[in-house]
Amino acid sequence: MTAADAPLHPPEPVGTEPEPRKRLHPLSPVLHGAKSLAVIVAALSWQTLSQVGLQRFVLVVIVMAAGVVVFSVVSWLNTGYSVVGRELRISDGLLWRRHRAIPLERLQAVELRRPLLAQLTGLAELRLEVVGGAKTEAPLAYLTVRDAAALRERLLTLAGRTRDNPAATAAPPSAPALERQLVRVDNRDLVISQLLTPQAFFLPVGLAFVIVQSVLQGAWGFIGIASTITAMAGVLLQPARRVLQDWDFRLARDLDGRLRVRYGLLERRSQIVPLHRVQSVTVTWPLLWRPKRWLHLRLDIAGFANPQSREGRRSDRLLPVGDLPTGRGLVWEVLPGVDLLALPTYPPPPRARWLHPVALRYLGAGLSPDVFVTRKGLLTREMSLVPYARLQSVRVVQGPLQRLLRLATVYADTAGGRSAAAHDRDLADAWVLADQLAVRARLARGPAPAAP
Amino acid sequence: MSEPAAPAADALEPWPDTVQWRSVSPKLITVELISRTVLTVVVLVGLLIGRLFAPHPLWYAGMALIVVSGIWRAIVTVRAVKAWGYAERDNDLLVRHGLVIRRLSIVPYARMQYVDVTAGPLERAFHLATVQLHTAAAGSDARIPGLPPDEAARLRDRLTALGEDRAEGL
Repeated sequence: MTAADAPLHPPEPVGTEPEPRKRLHPLSPVLHGAKSLAVIVAALSWQTLSQVGLQRFVLVVIVMAAGVVVFSVVSWLNTGYSVVGRELRISDGLLWRRHRAIPLERLQAVELRRPLLAQLTGLAELRLEVVGGAKTEAPLAYLTVRDAAALRERLLTLAGRTRDNPAATAAPPSAPALERQLVRVDNRDLVISQLLTPQAFFLPVGLAFVIVQSVLQGAWGFIGIASTITAMAGVLLQPARRVLQDWDFRLARDLDGRLRVRYGLLERRSQIVPLHRVQSVTVTWPLLWRPKRWLHLRLDIAGFANPQSREGRRSDRLLPVGDLPTGRGLVWEVLPGVDLLALPTYPPPPRARWLHPVALRYLGAGLSPDVFVTRKGLLTREMSLVPYARLQSVRVVQGPLQRLLRLATVYADTAGGRSAAAHDRDLADAWVLADQLAVRARLARGPAPAAP
Repeated sequence: MSEPAAPAADALEPWPDTVQWRSVSPKLITVELISRTVLTVVVLVGLLIGRLFAPHPLWYAGMALIVVSGIWRAIVTVRAVKAWGYAERDNDLLVRHGLVIRRLSIVPYARMQYVDVTAGPLERAFHLATVQLHTAAAGSDARIPGLPPDEAARLRDRLTALGEDRAEGL
């Protein structure tokens, strides 16, 4: 953003000087350094240690540590941020100076992260999600918790302010808003839910296999034990990580109608998501959870969801595990007026069974008053809800087999990168669906262009 | 789902009464054919060089295969270009393309993030350009190749104007 663009921004309320560039917390280079040091030590590995001897190893580590700390301090000195008008400006970089201006009206969600080290030192990392960023833009690491919370509140206030009423609630960062707790996930349920995953079920089988193997071979050697442990860790890593991530999951709604999500054991995270930034909601019923009648809710925001990035980051949990009434209530909160139990979907025509011999009756799509609903999945049932107001484009795709059967698939694309797909509809039905989606999306967007 | 008023006859012709489809320039066929031919010739030359170094009848089989597939692709190309079409409605842009897998995209102007107009060297030689409409969704697919430059410019300007008119955040 250049000076030429400045007049576009609403004039700041009188009295707020262009504020000076702020630095991150002085402890941040130490935390960054500790992180890099751990990586370096891991890279050097035990093998190097045994080769060069302890003394040299320690020497190497000390030299590297010194280098890392110097580098971190210099880069800390060069990093700064400031809020100018409706922008957050961040400058960093040592050799390649980089100045970024993040227009706050594009802000999708703000997350406050506190990794273990930061929790010990009372610091936090502030991450902003903006559209189009392949990764999280501008993590401000680290600030004190109080500063981070205040800055977050301020950014969100600025972001919520539309161009039309620039004079509305301005700078003073308000005290933590009152909030209404919606859900608190029981940690016992969380652990059980993660034990009811294919990985956890696989564990006894794998264990038995290894034991039988070693008994047959008669040797219970070091390699055997080590590989068993490694394999177990590998298998259990995902459920364990989920448990650690979702520990003490709490969801609340504040007075401004934003969702506040807090979770994590080792790394506490606290996200604030404005409701109008929710692009879609996905409900999943995994096979193994069915006896418990549990479900899983996920919400997509334009910033989080990047198809290329890792699964864990892609979209965010709205509810890691919960029963139907909880899920129903939550869906009602996030997409007002949408009742999870009253979403009729219609299956594809019977001739589609040539393409889906088994799972045909679990496919479906429906147009409810506010959302486009699609379902799929035989074992893991999944239901996607896309509000019409968030539709980006509609596609109709017909492959060669579908052409023979006069079927077509309708996709509803959202900015999250995820598309809701109504598979294998009758051709005429598909056109009606596509037309209806386009019309309803237009009506839902409304005539007023300035109401995001 | 309500019953459709009139069943659409063809996968490529939805709403025949209300939508005026426009096709892309037939010169695109020439462009596509030239690039296909160049590719085929390059592969053929490669095979010929291989034949010179290691004589074996399989090289000839390979060449025949390349030629046959080249001819087949050429026929498909001609039809595929004819299948490509777009239509501007009041609120959205329709783009359809594909022969084997038929695709139709409906992109509202209000959702447009930016418009790309590109022209490669071969396209430029034939006075063609490609217009692509981008939305915030990764899946959106609204690309129109083979437009004459003034049509491309007109489309770009119209899309930009309509996009500004109806723009909004996500």
